[in-house]
Amino acid sequence: MNALLGLPLALPLLGAALTIVFRSSSVQRAISFVSLLGALGASIGVLVHLAIEDDIVVSRLGGWPAAVSITLVGDRLSALMLVIAGALLVIVLAFAIGQRAADERSPFYHPAYLVLAAGIGQAFLSGDLFNLFVAFELLLMASYVLLTLEGTDAQVRSGTTYVVLNVVESMVLLTAVGLVFAATGTVSMAELPERLAELPDGVQTGLHLLLLVAFGIKAAVFPLFFWLPDAYPTAPSSVTAVFAGLLTKVGIYCMIRVETLLFPGQGSTLLLWIAGLTMLIGVFGAVSHVEMKRILSFHIVSQIGYMVMGIGIGTELALAATVFYLVHHIPVKASLFLVQGLVERETGSTALDDVGGLARRSGPLAVLFLVPALSLAGLPPFSGFLAKFGLARAGFDAGQHVVVVAALLASLFTLVSMTKIWMAMFWGDPYPDVAEGRVGVLRHHPLMSSTTALVIVGTVAVALVAGPLFDYCTGAAAQLIDPGIYRAAVLGS
Amino acid sequence: MLVLVLLHAVVAAVVLSATRLRGTVAAALGIAVFAATAVTAALQGIGSDVPATQSWDWVPDLGLQLTTRLDGFAVVMVLLVSVIGAIVLAYSASYFEPGPTRVRFTGLFIAFAGAMTGLVAAADLFTMFVFWELTSVCSFLLIGLNDRSASARNAALRALLVTGAGGLCLLAAVILLQVAVGTTDLAELGSRSPAGAMVTTAAVLALTGAFTKSAQFPFHFWLPGAMAAPTPVSAYLHSATMVKAGIVLMARLAPVFGDLAVWRWLVVVCGGTTMVLGGLRAMRQTDAKLLLAHSTVSQLGFLTILVGLGIPGATYAGVAHLVAHAVFKAGLFLGVGAIDHATGTRDIRRFSGLGREMPQLAVMMGLAAASMAGVIPLLGFATKEKALVALLDADAGAATVVALVAVIGGSVLSTAYSMRLMRGLFATDHRVIDPEHVHHAPGGWLVVPVGLFTVASLLGGLLADAVGGWLQAPARSLDGVEHSSLHLWPGLNLALGISLAIVAVGAVIGWRVPDEVAASPVRVSGEQIFQRLFDGLLTGSKRITVVTQSGSLLAYLAVVMAIVAGVLVAAIVTDPLAGFDELTWSDGWMQLVVAAFAVVFAAAVIAVRERFVAALLIGGVGFACAVLFALYGAPDLALTQILVETLTIVVFLLVLRQMPRGFDAPPAWAPRVVRVVISAGVGITVAAFAVMVSAARTAPSVGETYAELSLPEAGGKNIVNVILVDFRGFDTLGEITVLGTAALGVTNLVRMARRRRRTASDAATAAAVAEAELS
Repeated sequence: MNALLGLPLALPLLGAALTIVFRSSSVQRAISFVSLLGALGASIGVLVHLAIEDDIVVSRLGGWPAAVSITLVGDRLSALMLVIAGALLVIVLAFAIGQRAADERSPFYHPAYLVLAAGIGQAFLSGDLFNLFVAFELLLMASYVLLTLEGTDAQVRSGTTYVVLNVVESMVLLTAVGLVFAATGTVSMAELPERLAELPDGVQTGLHLLLLVAFGIKAAVFPLFFWLPDAYPTAPSSVTAVFAGLLTKVGIYCMIRVETLLFPGQGSTLLLWIAGLTMLIGVFGAVSHVEMKRILSFHIVSQIGYMVMGIGIGTELALAATVFYLVHHIPVKASLFLVQGLVERETGSTALDDVGGLARRSGPLAVLFLVPALSLAGLPPFSGFLAKFGLARAGFDAGQHVVVVAALLASLFTLVSMTKIWMAMFWGDPYPDVAEGRVGVLRHHPLMSSTTALVIVGTVAVALVAGPLFDYCTGAAAQLIDPGIYRAAVLGS
Repeated sequence: MLVLVLLHAVVAAVVLSATRLRGTVAAALGIAVFAATAVTAALQGIGSDVPATQSWDWVPDLGLQLTTRLDGFAVVMVLLVSVIGAIVLAYSASYFEPGPTRVRFTGLFIAFAGAMTGLVAAADLFTMFVFWELTSVCSFLLIGLNDRSASARNAALRALLVTGAGGLCLLAAVILLQVAVGTTDLAELGSRSPAGAMVTTAAVLALTGAFTKSAQFPFHFWLPGAMAAPTPVSAYLHSATMVKAGIVLMARLAPVFGDLAVWRWLVVVCGGTTMVLGGLRAMRQTDAKLLLAHSTVSQLGFLTILVGLGIPGATYAGVAHLVAHAVFKAGLFLGVGAIDHATGTRDIRRFSGLGREMPQLAVMMGLAAASMAGVIPLLGFATKEKALVALLDADAGAATVVALVAVIGGSVLSTAYSMRLMRGLFATDHRVIDPEHVHHAPGGWLVVPVGLFTVASLLGGLLADAVGGWLQAPARSLDGVEHSSLHLWPGLNLALGISLAIVAVGAVIGWRVPDEVAASPVRVSGEQIFQRLFDGLLTGSKRITVVTQSGSLLAYLAVVMAIVAGVLVAAIVTDPLAGFDELTWSDGWMQLVVAAFAVVFAAAVIAVRERFVAALLIGGVGFACAVLFALYGAPDLALTQILVETLTIVVFLLVLRQMPRGFDAPPAWAPRVVRVVISAGVGITVAAFAVMVSAARTAPSVGETYAELSLPEAGGKNIVNVILVDFRGFDTLGEITVLGTAALGVTNLVRMARRRRRTASDAATAAAVAEAELS
């Protein structure tokens, strides 16, 4: 089992190297699929093992003792994230190929995509703070390449904002990691909790907040989110789908680690304030815009607030709900961007004013939008409802009423902006003008539509198997809430 | 019932996805499902003492399960939903033109009926909430069925947002009860008689949810707007079923919360206001369908008072009147739809002599309207009579007095608008110039359903004693009290006197009030308030977003940097100057000199006005650092640093050639002072914090372990090398990959730029060639 742990990042990395060598697009595709599927298979193996055994899998790279080597640590949270991310990466790759937005755009698409996959895997597995920083660098560089793949002016311009803000984030993170090392003499996430706890309060506060600022920029929380809605809309939807689904979640994942492992404590009022403001400011941005991709980009921000809320409440139930939220949110958000890609392919635009009457033209397309949209707004019986229910329940349980009210308001406003898209694009007179009942995109792009449908089926499945899934998340939260488990698993007790 | 609800969903999905399905087949499928539901409910529910329960554990960790329980009240409601649903679906088959709209309507209609069935059969508040939201979504799609009309779209949105907001209140109530009481099972809730601030809050929230759904003041305004939907939708959703969801919720919760003063007064005040206001508004309408819509609002106010009070007699009367209302209102709506179909209008000022042209319809609708007006011997009379008796008998203090006054006032108006409607539709009025006539007689399937509802209203009245007997068990299942039955002839008593007076006064008003007075405009409407709130949300959002999303990189950087500095200040003030006492300021004069250079360079960067000089100065800081590394005995590090700085400067200079010499003028919000404060703040706080952090070290560094292991275990004399390629070789691999990826990105951008230039020049050449050929 421990040997499997390296595969989710090693296979994509190997694949990236091979796709640089082989330029034929069919070979590149084969390499990409094989390495991503292999990574997914390994992740599933780890997940199944953890679901049965309830322990933590550790791999010490180079066989050095734990304090010396870089360790990869797979607990329930990371295994779950790996599986969801792995599945999404495979499906979206297929979508991108269907969209002709993969190797048709540039022979560097596959290498960059695979490096991104490796970076995501590394971020979820790393048990070492400096190595986590390296993972962030991988993510940043790969995402920058994917963002500017066509090198259009708009891409380069918004890419500049993206890269500058993210380099600043790297700088803050590197500073924080360096200072952590200066204070404790280690970057091993298993050893850190004990050593950090011995530090004076002021030092702890400073290190804690610096790490939160760094991960907060990555996760796009208020007031550090502004780079996201500027940068994401310029990329093709298949790229945005992966970014929206996964990149900000890496930030959230790291915030969970900071709050549970490095600086464990039951909740944080600061984070609750940030959560409330992120939800509301994000959704206000969504409500005020009239272009589908921008609206969806602002919703990424808003939804991040919900996960921060769970971290801020900090109880076991809240953490379980946060993990469940992550699981629900990744496919839902990604699928909305994929649907946006379908709409764009069909009509040539995603501005609300330029498109109308899609529901008349294609009922299935309307369903593909409606399901994740309602899920995002938190309506039953979809997964988003359960995720929000869990968080609200945890909030009321912990007596945090104000943030729950903010969350409920934000979900009402989410509904407002989803109906805005629906009413403008799916209702009304069909526009651009095409005879009723004729829709090309679903029939002519079977790969795009079937992969989108697959992700949406995934979101529905999340709601259907919510019972066992939430049970697993509760187990993950139980591992998170007691840093001793992590420490014992990595260092040996 | 859960299985049957699922069956609804499946059939709906089949109908919606089978685009080539014929409308009649779709309708038949739906009717079959409704029939199956009705039969099952009747078989399982009637006469059995232990209600049939079905349950699915959804998320056990959160205590979430979907549970239905067929108690007496649930059976009545399920029967109403499925029987009325079947009749309306049969009607709709003639109402709609064949085509995709009809199939879409049928599919959504079946889905809606399924959600409603789940709602009324729900055994706990959570289950009810789930189906509650589903009915909101289905109703949104059904109101917007004619999505090309802007008014239909807006009405759908209003309905969704109002009921959706109410749904969130209900959700909050569900969770609060879960936390405070530990259960949301309706039977359990009743037996535990919960109390406390949290429970009261939950009760008020649930009541608010019910008010939005059942169109109670001040949320009543969405319902008349929903009349933009086709008539079968209005008849079913907005009179017989969906709007009853709130009533069902109140009926279920009143036995638990009815004793709370705030609950009771909210019910009486809002219900009473709604009943009277709805009646007054109905008197103003000239569109028959809108008149019916406002009358529904009024009747819902009546029902709210009856079931919401939680007084035994009133609860029973409420259940009975709920049935009566569903029956007569569905009949009236379908009748108006038939007239609309036949004449092309619903404006009651444009009819004269329609009664002679459509005598059957006139009789049927007359009877249904009589039931609404509370005329003996129809069902509406018996139920209203029962309600008056209950309110007269009740001794719940001032609230019941207010309730009684509102009910009497509202009932007078009910009779009045029933009269107005019938007179307007069917009477011969010589003042009408060029009245509308029947263009094509409505087909049987448009009239027969109206007849069915009329017969039900009439038989229900004539057999009031028997019907009342059947309704005893349902009412008992709500509050556990034995109720006395309905009566066709209650005997001479005060209630009967009031009842007769109501009918007499109402009839006179309804006959005499002229249209001109009635149709005067409304000054303030809920619709306008909603629109103002909605517009406020849009403009407010825009204003906030313009501020947060300025698009200026400078602003974004300033915010991030200010936060970093602020965060560190928060850390430093906890223990100012910690670590500075242990600090060795310098190991020799060389360091001081180099450090002074670095500081001067850094400060100078702020002062200079040209990009070129600034880049050189930043490089200078880097070189100073390299010298410091060398002085501390790390020549390899120093060498690396020098290489990096040199390369960086070269690249900088190459890029800067393409750019203006000076910096852009700073924006007004960021004068030099602000920028200097932020940059200096970050530098100083990071440095101060670094000192503080270094002094806090307690444990030995892992570096010492590296030193011990390096030669014996890894076989390397240079520790740095061993760390880079062995201990932390994985990091190095990662960083190499980062560099490689960056190289890919740069190569790609260059290639793309070149390719674009080539296409641009190709296009230019082509244009030149074309121009040359032309000339």
